[in-house]
Amino acid sequence: MHLTKVYLSFLVLLFPTLLFAQVKHTISGTIRDKSSGETLIGASVSLLDQPHASVLTNSYGFYSILAPAGEYKLLVSFTGYTTDTVAVSLTHDVVVSVTLASGNSQLQEVTVTAGRNNNVTKPLMGVQKLSINEIKDLPVLFGEKDILKTIQLLPGVQSGGDGSSGFYVRGGSVDQNLILLDEAVVYNPSHLLGFFSTFNSDAIKDVTLYKGAIPAEYGGRLSSVLDVRMNEGNSNDYHVNGGLGLISSRVNVEGPIQKDNGSFDISARRTYADLFLKLSKDSNTRDNSLYFYDINAKANYKLGEKDHIYLSGYFGKDELGLGNTFGMSYGNTTATFRWNHVFNSRLFSNASLIYSKYNYDIKVNSGNNDISITSFIRDYHLKEDMQYFVNNSNKINFGLDVNNHTTSPGVITATENSSFNPVSIQNRHSLESALYVSHDLSLSDKLNVNYGLRAGLFSVLGAGDFYTYDSSGNALDTAHYKSGQVVKNYFNLEPRFSMSYKITPSSSVKVAYTRTTQNLHLLSNSTSSNPTDVWIPSSNNVKPEIADQVSAGYFRNFQNNRYEFSAEVYYRDMQNQIDYKNGAQLIANTNVESQLIFGKGRSYGLELYMKKKAGKLNGWISYTLSRTERKFDGVNEDSWYPANQDRTHNLSVVGIYKLNKKWTLSADFVYYTGNAVTWPSGKYTVDGQVAFLYTERNGYRMPAYNRLDVGATLQGKKTKKFDSNWNFSIYNLYGRENPYSISFQQDPGDASKTQAIQYALFRWVPSVTYNFNF
Amino acid sequence: MKKLYFAILISAAVLIGACKKTVTLDLKTADSQIVIEGNVTDSSGPYTVSLTKTVAFYTENNFPAISGAVVKISDNQGVTDSLTETSPRIYSTSILQGAPGHTYTLSVVANNTTYTATSTMPAHVPFDSLTVNKQELFGDNRISATVNFQDPIGIHNYYQFTEYINGAQYNKSLFVFDDRLSDGKYISINLFNDSTRIKAGDHLAVDMYCIDVNVYNYFNQLDQSSGTGAFNTTASPANPSSNINNGAYGYFSAHTAEGRTIIVE
Repeated sequence: MHLTKVYLSFLVLLFPTLLFAQVKHTISGTIRDKSSGETLIGASVSLLDQPHASVLTNSYGFYSILAPAGEYKLLVSFTGYTTDTVAVSLTHDVVVSVTLASGNSQLQEVTVTAGRNNNVTKPLMGVQKLSINEIKDLPVLFGEKDILKTIQLLPGVQSGGDGSSGFYVRGGSVDQNLILLDEAVVYNPSHLLGFFSTFNSDAIKDVTLYKGAIPAEYGGRLSSVLDVRMNEGNSNDYHVNGGLGLISSRVNVEGPIQKDNGSFDISARRTYADLFLKLSKDSNTRDNSLYFYDINAKANYKLGEKDHIYLSGYFGKDELGLGNTFGMSYGNTTATFRWNHVFNSRLFSNASLIYSKYNYDIKVNSGNNDISITSFIRDYHLKEDMQYFVNNSNKINFGLDVNNHTTSPGVITATENSSFNPVSIQNRHSLESALYVSHDLSLSDKLNVNYGLRAGLFSVLGAGDFYTYDSSGNALDTAHYKSGQVVKNYFNLEPRFSMSYKITPSSSVKVAYTRTTQNLHLLSNSTSSNPTDVWIPSSNNVKPEIADQVSAGYFRNFQNNRYEFSAEVYYRDMQNQIDYKNGAQLIANTNVESQLIFGKGRSYGLELYMKKKAGKLNGWISYTLSRTERKFDGVNEDSWYPANQDRTHNLSVVGIYKLNKKWTLSADFVYYTGNAVTWPSGKYTVDGQVAFLYTERNGYRMPAYNRLDVGATLQGKKTKKFDSNWNFSIYNLYGRENPYSISFQQDPGDASKTQAIQYALFRWVPSVTYNFNF
Repeated sequence: MKKLYFAILISAAVLIGACKKTVTLDLKTADSQIVIEGNVTDSSGPYTVSLTKTVAFYTENNFPAISGAVVKISDNQGVTDSLTETSPRIYSTSILQGAPGHTYTLSVVANNTTYTATSTMPAHVPFDSLTVNKQELFGDNRISATVNFQDPIGIHNYYQFTEYINGAQYNKSLFVFDDRLSDGKYISINLFNDSTRIKAGDHLAVDMYCIDVNVYNYFNQLDQSSGTGAFNTTASPANPSSNINNGAYGYFSAHTAEGRTIIVE
């Protein structure tokens, strides 16, 4: 509390600097890609000969820059694009919108800039940006380029395992990442056991991962924010592009709605691994299904100089079925309506109305057991975000966030003669609201600060019955609440602070502090993530998870920003972490909260990152040295123990080499320490069978993981009308059997022995994809 | 249901070339500890208690017997039976007769430590019939035993099933079931098996026990931590919580017992 007070007074102290803003004129506008008309997020806009006048475009490509009247040269640059200079005669406020040509097809180093050194000068740290362009040549599993797989190659981000879409950031769990698609929360980012992510790269424009200093506009998860923005569609001409792969295909259509005033973009894909099942001679096998499909769609329309609206949505479904005995389908649905309004050249507003839902549906028809289970989580979300460009060294961002969550943990319907009773676990309602403000401030040429505050209120609402439990999990008392009645309010202040100090023009040091809270928790107690894992809100029994993180780093660019280097250290402390009682029943359980135990977590580490951004050879090396621990009463004698995802070393090397105009070669190598796991330290007999004896939670290590993937892209003849390429890749080139899991059993061949069995998922997965664009 | 889902995933993984092999791991060996298994049923005695020790993972499945222990079982009707060591590791009762509704207390004195446990025998639920279920899973014809019985309404019941194929106890005997979602229903459930296959012509026998909540919890936890399969593994396997005190492994169960036998067609 004391810390909060100090912080608030700091906030008050800094505000007067705003008052010294001089009367100047504004240059504002939108930066776009020349050929597609897509807005460019995070492009750098600056005035030559005005060292302070340098800003970045926001999520809608908008910028605003201030200068006294005069003649200027406006310099616009963006990684992978040709830098452009525009002469501006500033006598009054002007709108200057610029289009940049993609330097994609160019090979000469001079024409393509590596962008500016914003990674050095801006105070935000622990941020990673990826554009789809950067990752399109990387070798990937099944030939499907996937941003969730690529971010796992970045420092501080750990893979959930072979083929998994789940990832761990700086010691957080999989559910502690806020995954946003056009601002809508994606509750389950994976398809088919995680072999594919929900993100179809055809539909994606820009991906930003925040793992250190998380801006105040984001809240709701402890460890990271993955902000994914969808393509708006080509506003100049119509295009169709797509890809044909061995187990999946995709198609994308984009074009103008009205030239220069609006465009649309629709992407769809489907896997057809299950079509092989249809070839089976066995009739039952032919009736099985195993596939997913998803659709991304977005449209935008300019209503005038000051207003722009966007409508985007996602729909995906996984289908698993065994004849008519068993069927499971699950998927996410999101919809986002956005309205950009430019009040004046310095005040930019975006209002968003967002819908998000994840649900699963299981049907079992076995003997006379005819039952179905459904469950969902649904959000109605309103967001208003304002960006006020006070002057070139002051930018204020503030807004409001109100999210209404409904969770349905499980409804079982059963026929009269089934073995199960129909059960309906009560829906839970909650309202997650927040006010936030943050201030970007240049105190001098060298010192930049971003500080902010997010004030969040999480209200657990009726209607419903809420239970209190004794220590052994028996319900002591039930309280009944009426619809809309507040069961519990959790108020949390989340200060966010980051600062950068430029040592030389190309190097800086940064420090940051971030507090985050989380009120939705994913219940999952098995090693692999299941579509049936259920989200529960905080309640009278489950308290908000809280994390505090401090980080510091050294940033240095070399050779005119062609090389980026960074070294960051972090320490994170986590409260009210969730684990499960032995034998916990998490499915369709009214008293699921009695199955949980609560404890603490901490993680710390060093992240080294070196990236080459321009030239024939591009890529990066990322290394993380880290430790992640948990402490729960009653586990390992109440002492700190390594969390599952604790991996001491984590190394990724990524290289993309443009051999010539036709061929691009790529490779990535991954090495990491094995997960901490619980294995038996003995055995005994129960009921004539062998049972295993455990002495310590996570006392063992899986073997270290390593893998090399290679890929090659062959560019076909490019004409104005048609463009195509072939993408070849081999996942796990040297066929290493990296263990996915290790389990223990009685030897089926010799009842007097027990054995450990290792499962590995992939050895040499080759793939070919044909991509086209016309 | 969950198991069925995992079975599909495993089959899917096999389609894309998953591989499985035996590995030798460097496993620690915990100090040898006492394992107590005691049962009292509503059938006629003698009932037995077995006392063994834990061993290292990579030794043979020969579990050393504990002899010379003092073992007693008493009921809440004033009967105390002192068990005698009738064969290595096995201690047997002589006078006790189990009955539903009675509470039994086990006491074992071994190595200067006294271990005690209590268990109450639930009311008997009749085992109506044993049938089989045939299911096709990716081309495999899987036969599993189906148990059928009427669950009494208004009582939280816990059941355990032991399966025998041609007289041999089936490899995995940890089938436990509770009526949390099935109170008062006529229940038909499959004893889903994933390693041994039942074939036509096999002699199939199943014993059904009505067990108390602590014994149910013990076996449910043991099942969840059994650690078999590629996907169906709990993130943190642990020793099940026993109803025996002072750190002994194992359980003490007073339960009803009823068997059914069929020849698989």
